[in-house]
Amino acid sequence: MEEPQLKLTRTKVSKMQSSKIEIINKLGLHARAAAKLVKLCGEFASEINIGQPDKMVNAKSIMGIMMLAASKGTVLAIEVSGDDETEAHTAVRELFENRFDEDE
Amino acid sequence: MSIMFSGVGVSRGIAIGTVHRLQRHDIEVGEISLNSQDIPAEIERFNTAVDTARTQLHNIVDNIPLTLNVEIGAFIEAHLMMLDDDILAEGTARIIKERQCNAEWALKLQMERIGQVFDAMEDEYLATRKNDISHVIQRIMRALQNIGPPEHDHDPQVWEGKIVVADDLTPADTIVMQHHGVAGFATESGGPLSHTAILARSLDIPAVVGLHEARRYIRDGEPIVVDGNIGLVLVDPHYEAVEYFNSKRNRYLRKRRELVKIKDAPAQTLCGTRISLQANIETEADVAALRKVNAEGVGLYRTEYLYMRHTDVYPSEQEHYDSYIKLVRALKGAPLTIRTVDIGGDKEIQHTQAGTVAHNPALGVRGVRLCINEPAIFLPQLRAILRASAKGPIQILLPMLTNVEEVMQIKRLLENTKSDLRNDGHKFDENIQMGGMIEVPATAIAAQQFVRHLDFLSIGTNDLIQYTLAIDRVDDQVNYLYDPLHPAVLMLIGNIIKAGDKQNIPVSMCGEMAGDSRYTRLLLALGLRSFSMPANALLEVKSVINNSSLGKLDTHARKISKCDNPLKQIALLDKLNTGIESIAH
Repeated sequence: MEEPQLKLTRTKVSKMQSSKIEIINKLGLHARAAAKLVKLCGEFASEINIGQPDKMVNAKSIMGIMMLAASKGTVLAIEVSGDDETEAHTAVRELFENRFDEDE
Repeated sequence: MSIMFSGVGVSRGIAIGTVHRLQRHDIEVGEISLNSQDIPAEIERFNTAVDTARTQLHNIVDNIPLTLNVEIGAFIEAHLMMLDDDILAEGTARIIKERQCNAEWALKLQMERIGQVFDAMEDEYLATRKNDISHVIQRIMRALQNIGPPEHDHDPQVWEGKIVVADDLTPADTIVMQHHGVAGFATESGGPLSHTAILARSLDIPAVVGLHEARRYIRDGEPIVVDGNIGLVLVDPHYEAVEYFNSKRNRYLRKRRELVKIKDAPAQTLCGTRISLQANIETEADVAALRKVNAEGVGLYRTEYLYMRHTDVYPSEQEHYDSYIKLVRALKGAPLTIRTVDIGGDKEIQHTQAGTVAHNPALGVRGVRLCINEPAIFLPQLRAILRASAKGPIQILLPMLTNVEEVMQIKRLLENTKSDLRNDGHKFDENIQMGGMIEVPATAIAAQQFVRHLDFLSIGTNDLIQYTLAIDRVDDQVNYLYDPLHPAVLMLIGNIIKAGDKQNIPVSMCGEMAGDSRYTRLLLALGLRSFSMPANALLEVKSVINNSSLGKLDTHARKISKCDNPLKQIALLDKLNTGIESIAH
């Protein structure tokens, strides 16, 4: 009885990857940047939330992200949980750090 | 009565024509109460309208010509995502259910809720993105009312030769318009990065944006002038004003045609000194622009994008090699200067330096420092450069040199790599030339020590100015201090050129200053004979060179270098530039 229970907990309880990241591209999370983020997050099975402690939104929702009003310099929390959370977390961080592939 | 508006010129050129106001049908919406048994059908009606809107946008995407700026496609993609967004879809459906009202009213309420969030935003640019959402909502609203898509409001035939006056253009508008010969754009909102600006530049159509409330004073069919060079719009102009802008327009077009004419002419001063003009490139695709202006070669290939293609691994030797070979072939014997990887500073990449974030990356491990510290990043690049040098003329350019010892270290790495390649049976250019970017003030001051160990120098003005003046260019609060004419900057540039001349090695400049035609004469006077710049600046710089006589530049140039008053410096610069017809004025 003990064994399967343990297994179940192992798969179900996720560590959840979380970190903070600063927005460094000049224009902040505008429509195209938000679109890139949504597209990227859509490639992962994990649940991905982003925002500030009082206002976390689903990172797979473009309007949710745009409504964060995250301009340059804003620090956002990223929370990722699911089977591919490590990859998803890294990929999201990279997108921010690469300024959403924008020039400045 | 003529009225003049001043806005922001976002696409060069002058257009004279008649106004075509882009009117959008405002849809009046009222609340209709529904019986609870009608709710599912109403939600279904809403979903169908969303589907219709989606189909319309997909149709537009499918018809985007390949030549169009990719950015516009990206905007439409964002709009498509909004259609799929639960905040819009489920949010509206919930209002229909809870309020038992018609879909139009629910959508309107949902837009108001979303709008309030945007209206409260402090960041002006982000706040204006409400427009993107309202474009999408308008599209659904029209579908609900069985009105065709907004881009069909106008018979496109009427756009031919017209100047479109609008609040702002939607990405869909811009794609449809580009087929139909619009002569100019004047919009109330938007900045240099708005849809209108991006489209206008990619179509090469004059545009002025940021004309607040202009539509209140502009009527359909009125004569209008749009001067994208100076950000001016003139409605119902006086006869003499039309004459003036007509001749200004002709002058501008003539100048542009003239510039194209000198594409094959050598860059040479009136006194017969040959000047080398090369192009900066970032990707292999930039070679096309370089060919259009007949640049002599690539003075700076920034290889960072090779490193940015992946997020988890460094590019392999083969990837480097493939990129360099592609360029060597495309350049057909013209020289290719490859700058070794310059990540760090403002070009950070996730997977360097194992997670440590420096407090001041511009002064941290970047450029050649990184090449020396992390051979795993640098050696595959070095091997690939050497191997590619067997196929065509290639030079190596080292970024961010600070100490002569760094040059010596790289030279040892180069010799080791060469002997490895020999052992592996690879061919390469045994005499491959290696130069250094001079962008650290210390290196500029001690340039005479570096020239003994390098085959050429390249002045990187962007960083040199930033480091010399201790200002961060991307910091809005100090970037007003960014000044290429600062006496210290000019002294350093002069010193670098002299050091190169003394050792008889070439000195080039590849920063932004090299591509700004206002500085061309000054740089010639300082002794610069080789420039590398974005391809689209090259012909204007060439035309200045071909209209200059070296002997006549010295007096004013010396005055500029010695002047301690920035305003006087500008006046002196204008004097130095006498006789040059700026393309913009």
